Amino acid sequence: MFGPEGILIALIVLTMALALFLFVRPPATAGAGERIVAFIALFILPALCLGGGFSAHIEHSKETKSCTSCHAMQPYGRSLYVDDPNYIPAAHFQNHRIPPETACYQCHADYTFYGTLKDKFAGLERVYIQYVSGPPKHIKFKGRYSNGQCLRCHAGARDFEENPVHQAIRSELASSQMSCISSGCHDTVHNVTALDHLKFWRPAQ
Amino acid sequence: MRLVEFGMQRLLRASSAIIVLGLAIELLSLLWFHPLSFVLFAVVGAALIGLGILIYLASLAFAGTPAAARPAGKTNS
Repeated sequence: MFGPEGILIALIVLTMALALFLFVRPPATAGAGERIVAFIALFILPALCLGGGFSAHIEHSKETKSCTSCHAMQPYGRSLYVDDPNYIPAAHFQNHRIPPETACYQCHADYTFYGTLKDKFAGLERVYIQYVSGPPKHIKFKGRYSNGQCLRCHAGARDFEENPVHQAIRSELASSQMSCISSGCHDTVHNVTALDHLKFWRPAQ
Repeated sequence: MRLVEFGMQRLLRASSAIIVLGLAIELLSLLWFHPLSFVLFAVVGAALIGLGILIYLASLAFAGTPAAARPAGKTNS
């Protein structure tokens, strides 16, 4: 109800009130108490609000609705509702194998220490493409999809490890020599060009 | 009013006003769910808050030694 974002908003409002007070009545140089209030209101609290703001925006950018708020990404969001278990993102999203509210981020983030930050900067590039250069007609995945993003959850899972096909190519999968999604095994991913001919799942409200 | 106090008050006022503006933009960016909200926060809001903090720190440097610590009769104006 009153989560971290509520606390941040309350902190921003408090800081604004204190800074406004100092604008109307700037402290005289002599009073130590007033100097401490000024230090808190014009240094400590704004720095906290700044850090909190960056953190809140990074959390926002992980949300599925944030990714699909760009027009060019809407077909990819729609593909999560395809009524076909062969569609890998749809099957993961609909069966809650990944948290649906952060579905895009779960499979499209580099799971390193700086993964979130790296993705945020990649996101800025996408904002530039959306508003300045314009999105291309066919959106292509930049670079190569790492198996690590699949293995992060599947490695160690019984049905994955006991599958004879996976056992035979385990080292190639771990080193990404063979791709999970483009080596002919799980190759039906978003496939947005076919969306107009597919049936969609409607979640119960 | 001594010149140093006048200068410091002006810097504090400028710092407060810029921080309030930066925070208002941060608040707006948090409530606006749009791909540009982060850009608004990072490019405008954060820059204003950072500038306000720097002006405040400059005002501290401007104030120099606290009046009580200065020898009697000496000011830095």
